[in-house]
Amino acid sequence: MFTTATEFAGYHRADGRVGIRNHLLVLSSVALTARLAVLAAEAVPGAVVVAGDFPRGLRGPDAGLQADVLSALVRHPNVGAALVLCHDKASRDAMAVALADAGRPVIVQAFMAAHGMADAVSRARGALHDLAGQIAEAPRARAPISALTVALECGGSDATSALAANPAIGRMVDRLVAAGATAIVSETAEFIGAEAVVAARAVSQDAARDILAALARCEAELSEDGESYRGVNPTRENIEAGLTTLAEKSMGAVNKIGQSPILGCLGFGATPARPGLWFMDTPFFSPVSLTGMIAAGAQCTLFAMGVFNPSGNPLAPTIKICGNRQTLSRWADSIDVDVSAAVYDGAGLDLMGDRVEAALLATAAGQTTRAEDWREGQVMIPTTRSLL
Amino acid sequence: MARLHLCMDPRDNVTTLLDDATDQRVLSDGRPAAAGVPFGHKVALVAIAAGAAVVKYGVVIGHSTEAIQAGEHVHVHNCH
Repeated sequence: MFTTATEFAGYHRADGRVGIRNHLLVLSSVALTARLAVLAAEAVPGAVVVAGDFPRGLRGPDAGLQADVLSALVRHPNVGAALVLCHDKASRDAMAVALADAGRPVIVQAFMAAHGMADAVSRARGALHDLAGQIAEAPRARAPISALTVALECGGSDATSALAANPAIGRMVDRLVAAGATAIVSETAEFIGAEAVVAARAVSQDAARDILAALARCEAELSEDGESYRGVNPTRENIEAGLTTLAEKSMGAVNKIGQSPILGCLGFGATPARPGLWFMDTPFFSPVSLTGMIAAGAQCTLFAMGVFNPSGNPLAPTIKICGNRQTLSRWADSIDVDVSAAVYDGAGLDLMGDRVEAALLATAAGQTTRAEDWREGQVMIPTTRSLL
Repeated sequence: MARLHLCMDPRDNVTTLLDDATDQRVLSDGRPAAAGVPFGHKVALVAIAAGAAVVKYGVVIGHSTEAIQAGEHVHVHNCH
């Protein structure tokens, strides 16, 4: 259980979820409106821009996933209100229908309805000021820890990630799950080699089968160039660093899930059906996997790193946790939690878990993370086919 | 001076060394450690029989290919 708190103060949404931020989102739904989104947001302090290189003309499941993820971002618990920019009137009308029940103030605009760029910027800024006024007085109110969903991520991994940052997160995940909260881990490729752990931890045979199928498909894709992934891992460099088997290498990352049972395998961006620890089948590039877990409703991310990694997400605060003192010294302005004492001073991992817990509670209460201060973060939606 | 090390889970039968004092032969808690084992590498906390599970992070990461004594280096030469 949590050692210091049983609740936090957040923003209660119409759908029952609770935000830890009350963001005014400016969402560019297609790359064509990205510049407009940036210009509009410049006039409203605190507005958060999501303007990825989202393509037009996606087909089939790719089109469906893009629409679902964009909708999920507008409905994210950390979003208080949103201005959504579409390219043409038809896409605006479709988006307005899709967001009619978003349960918060939303304005959808069509770029092509404007009379010139200055007019488009003026309209967008007017809408943003209107929305900002509507959410300015939103209060925080008490919510149980069980209302939290936390994304688990690692990047820039080194030996200290496996020794300190990931296990510190694992200790925190056990406390979150015990408190009735939800955690999501992703990056399918990182689990290759940890199949036995998945099979042992999965809460049901169905859950194990689904996750193992995702791992097998991912391994087949990684071996498509003719080189067996399992055959070249651990690499010569890994072995020199002390890693003996692929299972050991994989556990360096996978131990961030702690000891809790895994409840099932989520598709990209899919919301967990009930509290607990979930696996999400995603690509391994952090901005993509984070987008999936945050579309699923994660209000913040616990991010382990060895060397620095600038990944983040604009909507959900990223708490950066590091056990490498060289990195902590060089990137002191960009990392939130120092767990290096476990590596260099013989400190216990439960104590490192306490540091992660303190940072999570402070972040939930509104303290900004370093990534938020730098407005660092990306949204990337995966596609299965390249554009024609 | 004894060697700094970190055991990831109470169920583990190996521990990871965290310093470069490779001439030392004792762990910080008094248990034995073979000389010459580098930072990031593992030594056995207890004797591990041939073919037995090597446990780190509380999970089986491999099996010994020969009998391993407490304090001995555990790596690709005796574990896979």
